[in-house]
Amino acid sequence: MVVGDIATGTDVLVIGAGPGGYVAAIRAGQLDLDVTLVEKDAYGGTCLNYGCIPSKAMITAADVAHEAGNAEEMGIHADPAVDLSAMVDWKDGVVDQLTGGVEKLNKANGVNLIEGRAEFADENSVRVAHGGEGQGSETIEFEHAIIATGSTPIEIPGFSFDDEPVLDSRQALALDELPERMVVVGAGYIGMELSTVFAKLGTEVTVVEMLDSALPGYESDLARPVKKRAEELGIDFHFGQTATGWEETDDGIRVSTEAVEEEAAAEADGGATAEFDADKVMVAVGRRPVTDTLNLEAAGVETNDDGFIETDDRARTNKSHVYAVGDVAGEPMLAHKGSKEGQVAAEVIAGEPAALDYQAVPAAVFTDPEIATVGLTEEEAEEEGFDPAVGEFPFRASGRALTTGDSEGFVRVVADEGSGFLLGAQIVGPEASELIAELGLAIEMGATLEDVAATIHTHPTLAEAVMEACENALGHAIHTLNR
Amino acid sequence: MVREFKLPDVGEGVSEGEIVRWLVDEGDAVTEDQPVAEVETDKAVVEVPAPVDGTVREILADEGEMVPVGNVIITFDVEGEPVEEETEGEAARAASGEPEAEAEPAGDKGAETAVAADEETATPEGRVFAAPSARRLARELGVDIGAVDGSGPSGRVTEHDVRAAAEGGSEPAAATEASGADAGGSAAGSKGAEGAQSGDGAAGGAGATAEASGAAAGGRQVESADRDRTLAAPATRRIAEEEGVDLNAVPATEERDGEPFVTPEAVREYAQAQQEAQAADTEALAKRAEPAEREEREPYRGIRKTIGDAMERSKFTAPHITHHDQVVVTDLVETRGRLKEKAEDRGIKLTYMPLIMKAVTAALKEFPVVNASLDEENEEIVKKNYYNVGVATATDAGLMVPVVDDVDEKGLLQIASEMNELVQKARDRSIAREEMQGGTFTVTNIGGIGGEYATPIINHPEVAILALGAIKQRPVVEDGEVVARHTLPLSLSADHRIVDGADAARFTNRVKEYLKNPELLLLE
Repeated sequence: MVVGDIATGTDVLVIGAGPGGYVAAIRAGQLDLDVTLVEKDAYGGTCLNYGCIPSKAMITAADVAHEAGNAEEMGIHADPAVDLSAMVDWKDGVVDQLTGGVEKLNKANGVNLIEGRAEFADENSVRVAHGGEGQGSETIEFEHAIIATGSTPIEIPGFSFDDEPVLDSRQALALDELPERMVVVGAGYIGMELSTVFAKLGTEVTVVEMLDSALPGYESDLARPVKKRAEELGIDFHFGQTATGWEETDDGIRVSTEAVEEEAAAEADGGATAEFDADKVMVAVGRRPVTDTLNLEAAGVETNDDGFIETDDRARTNKSHVYAVGDVAGEPMLAHKGSKEGQVAAEVIAGEPAALDYQAVPAAVFTDPEIATVGLTEEEAEEEGFDPAVGEFPFRASGRALTTGDSEGFVRVVADEGSGFLLGAQIVGPEASELIAELGLAIEMGATLEDVAATIHTHPTLAEAVMEACENALGHAIHTLNR
Repeated sequence: MVREFKLPDVGEGVSEGEIVRWLVDEGDAVTEDQPVAEVETDKAVVEVPAPVDGTVREILADEGEMVPVGNVIITFDVEGEPVEEETEGEAARAASGEPEAEAEPAGDKGAETAVAADEETATPEGRVFAAPSARRLARELGVDIGAVDGSGPSGRVTEHDVRAAAEGGSEPAAATEASGADAGGSAAGSKGAEGAQSGDGAAGGAGATAEASGAAAGGRQVESADRDRTLAAPATRRIAEEEGVDLNAVPATEERDGEPFVTPEAVREYAQAQQEAQAADTEALAKRAEPAEREEREPYRGIRKTIGDAMERSKFTAPHITHHDQVVVTDLVETRGRLKEKAEDRGIKLTYMPLIMKAVTAALKEFPVVNASLDEENEEIVKKNYYNVGVATATDAGLMVPVVDDVDEKGLLQIASEMNELVQKARDRSIAREEMQGGTFTVTNIGGIGGEYATPIINHPEVAILALGAIKQRPVVEDGEVVARHTLPLSLSADHRIVDGADAARFTNRVKEYLKNPELLLLE
């Protein structure tokens, strides 16, 4: 502690006000604990400010523009003009409303909010350096700490986010002018979501991916419709390539790539190296946990080889009074997983019998079409020793999907053959991100195929496809051929 | 491949069984349904049959060992069988002697649905199908949901199943907590203490309200003087008007011409007193309007309800008698004083409890009916030749009774060390359920907080429980003179169905004898 400075005490110190941290703080406040929440940047964290919310806002806006301009089939002729700066202002308004809400909710639940960067001084205290020069610092002593510092985009050699034409996803979402040409490095979900946004707004997009497919984390039949639609939008894919550098040219920049496997590349792309002209390059190759600024050693908290803080089913680290939630606590890096962990950490601290014993974490990719998954795939179910029963229903057999003009994709359910318990589901298609919720609930409730199949679903809706997929697994689907 | 065999749930509400006898040895060939062991539970002795043809690979429990349901007790080598996990469903069928379900004709969906419950055997281990609410309840009640048999569709574990497991399946533990609760009612129960505190709080609140209305009613002599005619200067009348005071109501301090005369000070004083009274009234009313101040409601569930249910069961199943007595323990105090230092040298804290447990065990050996339980189903009195003594312990989570096994076979220091460790584990909630099960008699110390005698509730299905008051100096008559002696009040509750009043008194007398002359324990 600095001489002359007085430490304040708190029951629960939460570091980071993202969806893991602010939820933990609010829940702890609800449970009558004295809570202090330290945030160095903006309430709501990456999710609200630079990730989920702004990207989904931009995806929606881009969809509106794209659909309006491509509805001749429905008899609509329009030529939408996009004012990117106004679109970004609208998106910022949405973000402001949400972050303001987070701040108000925290205050209403009695959470002490402190702006600054926290770093452990020892096992029971942190020093918080307030933002800006000469703003000073303070020491906070805590009984329990919850680390919720999130993650940050990974930089690759040769591409510094400090350079103006090189963008991370956050900067890409804040552009006030549409680039004419953009190279996107990485075909994971962030790369694919934003490539789609820019392509729909009129940018010429080239995607460079090191692996041999788009959305490599997903089953190929889920990723295929997304790649197909992206290609229809004019996105140019180059697989098996790593980006090696960029240079300025007379009319923009030139991004150079190198084949991962020379021979394969020579066949596929006609050479071991390639160059792509662009105005901007966005690097979206993944995210890493933010633990380097915390001085974790002082608290005795350990990280694993990947930099994540390992936690148990109560969100506790190797120090039983220190908890870690959200991205910093490991994969999957999903806001909703972090929020649940935050909630559990707060309840555990308050002595409630909470634990992270969920059966499945849903995930969604907001591409076109959307992909959403929950629980086990057929292969994973087999690996776990189940004899899986699988049912599918294609959206082209869904009346509602046809009326939206978007009938690409399918719902697939995976269940245990003997008992009928639902184990997992994969959806690619319209509103997949919304439809997955029903199947997540079914898995958590220990529902069977029969339970879902026997539940009346509203007609005409996309949700009927969920019911039909379960019926298909039971061998009595009405609107599709049974397997 | 190796086939594991788990101790099946042989009956409703049975959480563990004792391996009475192994009928096979390692290496023996067995055929399906051949009995391999005799297992005794609270309910009965059952033969456990082999589920397969094969040879006994390993026997994993000793004769006489209490084994929780679900623990693997024996493994078999089975030739040529595909690798497959033994499951509880199969184990249960095997134990109950039911034939294995016949294979269903393929492709018949209806038939598959009909046998869906049996097919849970196909569910890999480690995954439990249960709703989040049932999972949370299991955590609340300290139930391992993985060990609960589901009664829902396809074997889904329901909240009801979890409750049944908490109450029935682990009866000893639940009862244990209950007797702890009973002990805590009188003993060092932190919950009890909390209850008392909140009670005080409520009383305090009510007191404050009463005071407030008292002030409103009579606090500062604000009764109206209520005259017909009052003399006052015009300035005084103006003040009265401004303050909204009726002059005839203001107490008169003087008289003029035989009539009451009111001064400006009197008016101001009266106005102020009235305002204060009004404020107090408002405050009192406001306080009355907040129901939380007068009564608070909190849910009756979780461990508290488990304790309550078990107490209720004990009290209404076993007709209780309680025998009270007091023993002079001068020698015990001296003995413990001497031994305590020796124990400390070995890093062990020696309280009176291990000495009392030793004394109780010695007396139990002489009165087996007190170290018994009543098997109501089979109408048998089960007298136990082992002496597992439970020690009621107050914890933040409620009252628990860790059990020190085989007290008769252990020395004082070992008992002290085991008991201290178990009590600490109970307090920090790291204690395992098994460590609170299998008791044959319970001791509870009520002296910690205060009081002399109590009516402890029996830790059912045990048949007796001993409550200890505080050891302190009390007046005792010796040789016709009243002298101060260290005495210990004893309260023994017993199940009057099988323990007569005379048994209770005789047993207590033996305990007293050992406590009065602790050196007698050396003979034990």
